[in-house]
Amino acid sequence: MAEIEATTGGILALALPFVAAALAPILKRIIGAHAAWVLALAPAAAFAILFSFLPEVSSGGVVQFGFDWIPAFDVRFSFRIDGLASTFGLLITGIGTLIILYSGGYLKGHRDQGRFFSFMLMFMGSMLGLVLADDLMTLFVYWELTSITSFLLIGFDHEREKARRGAIQALAITGGGGLALLAGFILIRELAGLNSMTEVLAAGDALRTSPYYLPIFILVLCGAFTKSAQMPFHVWLPNAMEAPTPVSAYLHSATMVKAGVYLLLRMQPALGDTALWTTVLPAFGAVTLVMGALLAVRATDIKITLAYTTVSSLGLLVMLIGVSTEYALIGAVLYLIAHSLFKGGLFMVAGSVDHGAHTREIDRLGGLARHMPITFAAALLCALSMGGITPFVGFLAKEEIYHALEYGDAYHIALMAAAILGNALMFAAAFIVALKPFVGKLPETIDHPHEGGFTIWFGPLVLGVLGLLGALFYETYHALFSGPMASATYGQPVEIDISFVPHLNLAFALSLATIALGIVIYLASNGVRAATSRFLASVGWGPDHGFDQAMRGLLRFSYFVTNRLQSGRLDYYMTITVIAITAALFVPMILGGALPAEPQMPQLRLPEWLVLALILVGIVAVVVAKNRLTAIVSLGIQGFGTALIFMLLGAPDLSFTQFMVETLSVVILALVMTRLKLSPADHRPLREKLPDAALALAGGAGFAVFLLSIVQRPFDPALSDFFEEYSYAIAHGKNIVNVILVDFRGVDTMGEIAVVMTTGLAVLALIRIRVGRRAKAQPDPMETTP
Amino acid sequence: METALSLVVGCLFAVSLYLLLSKHIIRMLLGVVLLSNAVNLLIFAAGRVSSIAPPLVPEGAEAPLAAVANPLPQALILTAIVIAFSFFAFLLVLAYRAYQDLGTDDTDEMRVAEPEDDGLPPLGY
Amino acid sequence: MMHGALAPSDYLVIAPVAICLLFGAALLMMRKRIDWQPWLAIPGFLLLFAADVLLLLKVAAEGPQTMMMGNWKPPFGIAFTVDMLGALFVTTAGFVGVASAIYATFSMSRTERRYGFFPFMFLMMGGVSGAFLTGDIFNLYVWFEVLLMGSFGLLILGSEREQLDGATKYCFLNLVATTLFLITTGYLYGVVGTLNMADIAQKAARLENDGAVLTIAVLYLVAFGMKAAAFPLNFWLPASYHTPRFVVSALFAGLLTKVGVYALIRVLLMLFPPQHADLATLISWVAALTMLVGAFGALAQSDMRRLLNYFVIAGIGTIFAGLALTGGEGGASATVSAASAATQAGGTAPMTGMAAAAAPLVPGSDSLVIGLSGAVFYALHSIVIMTALYLAAGTAARISGSSSLRAMGGLWRARPGLAALMLVFLFAVSGLPPFSGFWPKVILVRGAFQAGMPWLGAVILLTGFLMTVASARVFALAFWRNAPEPAVAGGPNAGFAPAGEPSPMLAMLPLLILAVFAVVAGVLPQWLVALTDVAARGIVDPAGYVGSVFGGVS
Repeated sequence: MAEIEATTGGILALALPFVAAALAPILKRIIGAHAAWVLALAPAAAFAILFSFLPEVSSGGVVQFGFDWIPAFDVRFSFRIDGLASTFGLLITGIGTLIILYSGGYLKGHRDQGRFFSFMLMFMGSMLGLVLADDLMTLFVYWELTSITSFLLIGFDHEREKARRGAIQALAITGGGGLALLAGFILIRELAGLNSMTEVLAAGDALRTSPYYLPIFILVLCGAFTKSAQMPFHVWLPNAMEAPTPVSAYLHSATMVKAGVYLLLRMQPALGDTALWTTVLPAFGAVTLVMGALLAVRATDIKITLAYTTVSSLGLLVMLIGVSTEYALIGAVLYLIAHSLFKGGLFMVAGSVDHGAHTREIDRLGGLARHMPITFAAALLCALSMGGITPFVGFLAKEEIYHALEYGDAYHIALMAAAILGNALMFAAAFIVALKPFVGKLPETIDHPHEGGFTIWFGPLVLGVLGLLGALFYETYHALFSGPMASATYGQPVEIDISFVPHLNLAFALSLATIALGIVIYLASNGVRAATSRFLASVGWGPDHGFDQAMRGLLRFSYFVTNRLQSGRLDYYMTITVIAITAALFVPMILGGALPAEPQMPQLRLPEWLVLALILVGIVAVVVAKNRLTAIVSLGIQGFGTALIFMLLGAPDLSFTQFMVETLSVVILALVMTRLKLSPADHRPLREKLPDAALALAGGAGFAVFLLSIVQRPFDPALSDFFEEYSYAIAHGKNIVNVILVDFRGVDTMGEIAVVMTTGLAVLALIRIRVGRRAKAQPDPMETTP
Repeated sequence: METALSLVVGCLFAVSLYLLLSKHIIRMLLGVVLLSNAVNLLIFAAGRVSSIAPPLVPEGAEAPLAAVANPLPQALILTAIVIAFSFFAFLLVLAYRAYQDLGTDDTDEMRVAEPEDDGLPPLGY
Repeated sequence: MMHGALAPSDYLVIAPVAICLLFGAALLMMRKRIDWQPWLAIPGFLLLFAADVLLLLKVAAEGPQTMMMGNWKPPFGIAFTVDMLGALFVTTAGFVGVASAIYATFSMSRTERRYGFFPFMFLMMGGVSGAFLTGDIFNLYVWFEVLLMGSFGLLILGSEREQLDGATKYCFLNLVATTLFLITTGYLYGVVGTLNMADIAQKAARLENDGAVLTIAVLYLVAFGMKAAAFPLNFWLPASYHTPRFVVSALFAGLLTKVGVYALIRVLLMLFPPQHADLATLISWVAALTMLVGAFGALAQSDMRRLLNYFVIAGIGTIFAGLALTGGEGGASATVSAASAATQAGGTAPMTGMAAAAAPLVPGSDSLVIGLSGAVFYALHSIVIMTALYLAAGTAARISGSSSLRAMGGLWRARPGLAALMLVFLFAVSGLPPFSGFWPKVILVRGAFQAGMPWLGAVILLTGFLMTVASARVFALAFWRNAPEPAVAGGPNAGFAPAGEPSPMLAMLPLLILAVFAVVAGVLPQWLVALTDVAARGIVDPAGYVGSVFGGVS
């Protein structure tokens, strides 16, 4: 019973966003921006369904459901809701609901709002499927769906080249990483025989000890790092800011960029805790953390600042997952939830500021607090959480992180240093975004700043308040969300007891140090910005520039290679073809030992000798002929020679047909050659003719040698014996060849007639439809001829 | 006999390929005619030359009384000859029309479908 | 000496060819009644598709079907034998035929209709169907020539200068390819003395280590590889496919190269399995290079249609990758089966396709079946999607007055429906889920890993990546971007028939039909996977095929 409910509910939750996506454009047309209220019901309902699973999931249970999808390959359309999936799902649908409402206000009156809702909801559904999926193939399908839908979202402002560039870049990087992930998943399926996450998690050390651990590790990491924007794949993330702000708020808080982190968390119990894992992940993570934070402080556009802090946060998460200890994973989980809330809120705040003050440049913003009080409040709530100040969820996370890293060895000290520096920079960035625009004097350039409508301020406020409530009611928070998630990630039940009440220990001291450093950076932010800008300018080159270079390089390389191969010259094409044919004759004939025995001098009658000589004379004359008459006559000579051979060797029908065809060919060829005044003579110098001649001789020799080899074998005349025996008896024809043509193999003749008929029509079309060298108009013969 | 035929077939192929490798369509057309003859003789030889009596059932008999030439290759060649002639006719007209509209029968100069310098594809986004 | 009596439903085997030739001839006679043509042609193609579907159902239910022409006993008469492979290909061909016929109704000018567009189309389709259904190798050659001449007619219809140039290259090179096919068939006849494919399968199985058979197999590989446009014999395709009318390009891209692929599977894999195993390494190289040439070629183009030309080639490479997976001993197992088929050819009851599928195969032939099944799935996908892409590109080019990526633009706003469909097709051709190109690629990569050729799997994925980039560029430049300048008249791509401007809504119908396949095959692939699996097993172990030809002999 419960299973049936889980299936119905789960599938409903997964389908709802897509259903809403299909309805969005119609709904938008009917009720305009109010469609947001109706559409938001879809994620809200999905949220409610997932919430209803919480009792079971938070007590350590796993809700599973699914169907067979492709039984031939053991691919199932199956899902698994444990603590990790549940918390992720709730974040996706919860923040999704707020984002849909926010988009209703933010893009009010936009002509493509319906389309926007549609893409957003499709993305939401894909992301939800990704985190709930159990079967590896199901997961991958949703993984690529997020790439596809984010392509549409990032390129939403499609008339600007930057938006198109961002979209292509995101698709190339995340889609490319996706293909690596696909290879990794197929490896896991084929070599380890594990089809689903449930099996992967149950397999214990199977993958870690597999000889294919290294390729699997690298491929999965390629997928995760591209999606979760680790250096140097991070470039797509800030460029994705070309999308409207609701997209950034959603993709870069709880969803798209977290997909890679999700995958690492999910596979940590199976792939993690190896020397490779604990080295590579923290290394990439730490670099990303520090670089991202530096770039964040450098940016002047508050949205770009937030984008780089997201990069930085993802680095922190990857670093923690790489450490692989219980505390590190708890820290990662706490930070992930906190980040989703405050970053979603801050992005929406940035959007509201843009909406209210029509700029996002930090230098041109100030004094908005009085005009946008609710937004300011929301911004502060989120920033306090991001800054790691108690009593906010961000505080819980930071305490736990420092707690996890407080060991005296070089490894942990290095990571701790990265964490402190990164956090301090992020602290500064948080307040640059949340404080600077609101305090001080209102610049004159801002005309009539105003608070947005309810849907605009509601979302960030809710997320800010949730960050506070989570910390205040930390026991419930741990019991329902962070605890089950951490347990699922760690692979066994864990207890989280961190509270908003600070304890005087090393972690708290480091927290205070971080905040102090953060305040210093905030106050000196203009100097820091100038310094980092100078530094980066002196480096000059960055991965983002590198992407353009790589893209252009790829195009130039493709152009160069293709033009080399596809030269546009028929003689070149023909030469390669003849080389291939010649090779196909000789190589297998020699390797397979099918060369003929040395032929005996043929015993021929005189007429036969004469005819063969006639043919040879004819063909040589065709090649060397100096004028067209000679060439045509020579062609005729060899043709008649062939006909004579048929005559001599018992094929009178063939001979007759050959005579006729040859005559016709010669006559029409002569007619055409005369009209075109073309000379068949070859005027090329000898050194150009020689390679052709050598190749042609080789080809001709190949055909002859192979034919010789075949005619030396015994022959099975069963077919012809049958024809001879029954030609008259059953088919009532005395000319066996004719009987074969019209009866035994009548279908060939039918096809032959079809060819002739088609040729006639094709020739007619060639001759009658004329465009001429210049004229483009098409005269219709129906009109011109009576 | 097959040996002699093989050699003639080889010569026909060599000349035909040489002509097909040419840059001038008119020469390639000559090559097409020779190619067809080469193939026909090849099939004929592949069916072996066991007898030189035409494959006919004599008057009053149910089946040929003595050995006759293999009739099946002859039937195949008859089909192939007609098809090859159709192709030759079409190609000839095509060459004629191409000469009329493109002004050349030199394939190196026929660069309409694949222009010489097309330029790089758009490098932007 | 005659084959058993025929039931009326047995004629289904020949029905697709008969319908095409009859309608082709009828339309040819009525070619002056220009306005009638489409209204005869569309029902004709619907009838063809219906016959194809019935045939497919019959084969699925009863296994391979054989009809002896003129009721002569095999191998003496010409056999039409249809197994799952042929049935799947012929049905898919009928499917895109219907879509193209509807599209052509609105896109071909009156002149072009008068000079035989629909007859050419039917005759070409007749050649294509005949090639998929015939069980006789010389007859296969004849159908190749029928479809080739039909394609010549379609290619030059319009007589633009680009067409004449493209046609010259296309015609000469394809003539060489089909002539090589005929030559090789002559050699083969000289070796085995028979032309019926089931008969050849049995006789060739007794000649396992024969250099002559190996040479014949390689010659067939070259001939069909050239027809399929595999590297390095792919020149004719990018030289010509962008020159005719869009709907003609669409038909060509969908069908012609796939006939080459089909023939290669039928001849190389079914008739010469040990030789195929010997050639697997060569084929894997050809596959990898073809894929890369296609993918890089696509990136190098500044014209949408020429870009699509290279997508066709990349798809062929992907299919070839599936034909390269022998798993070491797959060929040997098939030989055993073929030999066993020969022993039971004496007169057991006809085997059904399902029974053949259930028969256990020798271990090691697994990756052969997986690769082949993936290749067939990919080929069917490619038939539909390439047709769809050219048709969609045609509509797009008509609306923006050019097919050059430098000049196109603004279609996302102007034609959201077309843009959405184009996006589906572009994602499908790039192999992204949830569209039809995804699963065959997964199957092929899986097969490559199983066969111990991970590098080939990597090339498949790399090709997918490059095609994704190329597709994204097409979409960004031609659909998202605003048109850079007003459409240039008289540019290199100005050859769009001014007459017969398609009604956009009706031009969308065929695209919608084709998009249904792209989505259904991507979301619910099980049925196709099952069918292609039966098709692949029928080739690896052709007992069912052979039994259907010889089984009825009393």
